[in-house]
Amino acid sequence: MSSREDILGRVRARLKRNEANAVIGRADINAALTARAHGPRPAVPTEKSALAGRFREKSTAQSSTLDSVATITDAPAAIARYLTELKLPLHAVVSPSLARQNWQGAGIKAAARGAQDTDLVGITDCFCAIAETGTLMLCSAPDRPATVSLLPETHIALVPASRIVPGMEDAWALARAELGTLPRAVNFISGPSRTGDIEQTIVLGAHGPYRVHLVMIEDL
Amino acid sequence: MRVALFVTCLVDLMRPRIGFAAIELLEAAGCEVEVPASQTCCGQPAWNSGDHAAAAALAKKVIAEFEGSAYVVVPSGSCADHIRNEYPKILSSDADAEWHARAVALASRVYELTDFLVNVAHLETLPGKFAGSVTYHDSCAGLRSLGIKDQPRALLGKLPDVELKEMKAAEECCGFGGTFSVKFGDISAAIAARKCTNACATGAQVIVGGDLGCLLNIEGKLRRMGDQTTRVMHIAEVLVAKE
Amino acid sequence: METRARHFKANAAAALANPVLQANLKTSKSKFVDKRAIAIQELDDFEGTREAAKNIRDRVLNNLDLWLEKFEETATARGATVLWAKDSAEICRHVVDIGRRHNVKKAAKSKSMLSEEASLNRALEAAGIQPVETDLGEYILQINDNEAPSHIIAPVVHKSLDEVADLFHATHKTPRKTEISALTREAREVLRPHFLSADMGISGGNFLVAETGSVALVTNEGNGRMVTTLPRVHVVITGIEKVIPTLEDLALLMRLLPRSATGQSISNYVSVLTGVKQPEESDGPEHLYFILVDNGRADVVGSEFHDMLRCIRCGACMNHCPVYQTIGGHAYGWVYPGPMGAILTPLYTGLENAIDLPHASTLCNQCGVVCPVKIPLPELLRKLREKQVDGNLRPLFERLALKAWAWVAGYPMLYGMATWFGVRYLKWLADGKSSIPILGAAPEWSVGRNFPAPEGKTFREMYAKKKGKQ
Repeated sequence: MSSREDILGRVRARLKRNEANAVIGRADINAALTARAHGPRPAVPTEKSALAGRFREKSTAQSSTLDSVATITDAPAAIARYLTELKLPLHAVVSPSLARQNWQGAGIKAAARGAQDTDLVGITDCFCAIAETGTLMLCSAPDRPATVSLLPETHIALVPASRIVPGMEDAWALARAELGTLPRAVNFISGPSRTGDIEQTIVLGAHGPYRVHLVMIEDL
Repeated sequence: MRVALFVTCLVDLMRPRIGFAAIELLEAAGCEVEVPASQTCCGQPAWNSGDHAAAAALAKKVIAEFEGSAYVVVPSGSCADHIRNEYPKILSSDADAEWHARAVALASRVYELTDFLVNVAHLETLPGKFAGSVTYHDSCAGLRSLGIKDQPRALLGKLPDVELKEMKAAEECCGFGGTFSVKFGDISAAIAARKCTNACATGAQVIVGGDLGCLLNIEGKLRRMGDQTTRVMHIAEVLVAKE
Repeated sequence: METRARHFKANAAAALANPVLQANLKTSKSKFVDKRAIAIQELDDFEGTREAAKNIRDRVLNNLDLWLEKFEETATARGATVLWAKDSAEICRHVVDIGRRHNVKKAAKSKSMLSEEASLNRALEAAGIQPVETDLGEYILQINDNEAPSHIIAPVVHKSLDEVADLFHATHKTPRKTEISALTREAREVLRPHFLSADMGISGGNFLVAETGSVALVTNEGNGRMVTTLPRVHVVITGIEKVIPTLEDLALLMRLLPRSATGQSISNYVSVLTGVKQPEESDGPEHLYFILVDNGRADVVGSEFHDMLRCIRCGACMNHCPVYQTIGGHAYGWVYPGPMGAILTPLYTGLENAIDLPHASTLCNQCGVVCPVKIPLPELLRKLREKQVDGNLRPLFERLALKAWAWVAGYPMLYGMATWFGVRYLKWLADGKSSIPILGAAPEWSVGRNFPAPEGKTFREMYAKKKGKQ
């Protein structure tokens, strides 16, 4: 008997599985997967500017830094200013989905590919952002490699204000509506990587980025 | 109203004055108090040690002794919780169906002392006039299973010369745990040390609580720590004390 | 991992006598407990959220076989291979097979408690595959001669900064650092090349989402993302009880897990991984394996301990346990410490191998009120005690003493006589003082405390006398 049969067999026996209750059980599974019910959720404002305000507040609490531009075309210049302020090189790996932006015009040498270990700065967009916890939702795709937000020490993300949703359930709803099937990697990112393993003292910058900089796009 | 007092084995053995104080308080609240003479122990040590049969035998005894009373009052959160919430579980087998029903019927009439005095008897004027500073230890079963928190404080608040100083981590376990204290004495004593340190840090003259098991544990630890002056009293004693 | 739970008392005594451990336990208690209390205030309805979480878990456990089949179906449809392991040996066999099949020389691991259960690293090394722990705490343990973790979320809560600094200095042959941020940076630099060169990534699975065939990984360091993005092969090892129905259920559980564990509103990274790298993608594993593990879990389904399977491994119970706070995790002797460990260790490694664990509790229920999925932990501990009595596993003296007490308590007159003598004897032992320093009949009590003297008469005798006078 395979391990699969052995394990499932014992579970079935312990649940007193028979044909009749299997029918009921499968119906319950279908009901759960169809309803996809939400549980209790804390109140999050739904009005646009309050939503953006909550996102700002929460992502700051997660130690991300924030900037704001009117439209996406203003983003490269804002990012160049940020990198210069922090004395970081004007070199970045950018998500290929952002290849069309005018990085060169802002003085940034941008490589549109997956990240390598030598890349110090990674620039991505995001699928959406969650106000409740100040979280980015990044979905992998051929033109959105997951490494760009992972390997470099500095991760910069463009966050359109119109893509800020209240909670994770709303992020899933958006993904279902726009993407259909789930991408290979959905990463919810809330600030720089951190660890508290040594003496329960939180230190930013474990294996992922040391710093996360969010450029909100107001889409005015 | 007529109430029956379940005095508890620890009070019976170690501090009868707590039993008499409970009677005095109940009478001050206008109750007529009966004390069924054959009572011994609620059986909690047996249940917590895993001896289902012994626990069931004692449960049946207590149910038979007390189910005739309109109210059963207990000067202990853990014993009141045991009778109220555990008896139905102890007597849950098919063979015990009738006893289960009797346990459930009794449960709703079982009260911890301070809860009864505040929420049922509505005692307004206390027979004592204790003076001094006190701190209150919230016993685990009373707090987490019966919701005993405000009631003792409300009663202490009625004594004009009592100053209540809350200790840090009042709601944390004192380390008694019944049989735990005689099985893992070193761990138990270490937990008790923390409780004593927190209690004494308030500067209160008296450590007060509603469960004698906790109080004996705390008092024993204090004396071993060299503290001979901090008093440890059951709330019933404090509420009837004449000075 | 071999269990040392049999040596609980000795291990606990050693823990009590260890000043570094005691200091670290004090600090970690204040951090975990206080931060959690603040974080759950962010939820408008903590109790309602807990109830919903309990229901999500129960829904799956009550039809676990069907949900497992569903997960297997959806995961396989996305290109994953689903394997099943009855026990530790089979986990190791599967992983080594996968390693051989894909020519794996190095495996980078993010945290997996199942791999601790199975002592997987030893099996990998024996098969010529180099395992590298990448969770900072687990890495520290690995370089310290594969020391066992002492907490499921904070594996080196028992270690001080100095101990870690010494360890890094000795192992990495670098200058000794004195600050935590410097040590963390050093770990980052040491482990980065391993991430980049690992052929296989091994992770646990916080949750398996049946709807989509996904695994959800809840991490802070980024190592979970590293080991599941860079290597060609990804192996997920997790228990069969980890299935949840939908992505929405994940959202709800994510409100409770990080808050209960570390007091964070959300963990830094929540990765929901589904299937293998697509042809046009540039990162992600080409091969994805799920190893669904039994190792004692199947036999708990439908038993009186069924509720324990709801556990989402947050660690809140141990953080709030007065016993854990006093002795730390190693004393429990196996992978899981604290209240959940005191229940799982006997269930998964044998009742007779962990006799003390269910008794090393005051049943205070500080754990039960914080458990995000409302497991009645003290009740389960008590049931284990009952199983020990039924299985004749308790010491003879204890069984006789209890039986004697209960028997006498059934006979009021006899009880009255016994207690009449008893209190007078104790009063005599007190010799006029307010407490008895050493009570011979209860040596454990007397280890750290005096025994207060009784009044000297029983209530029943005094009351009877009073009534007689009236």
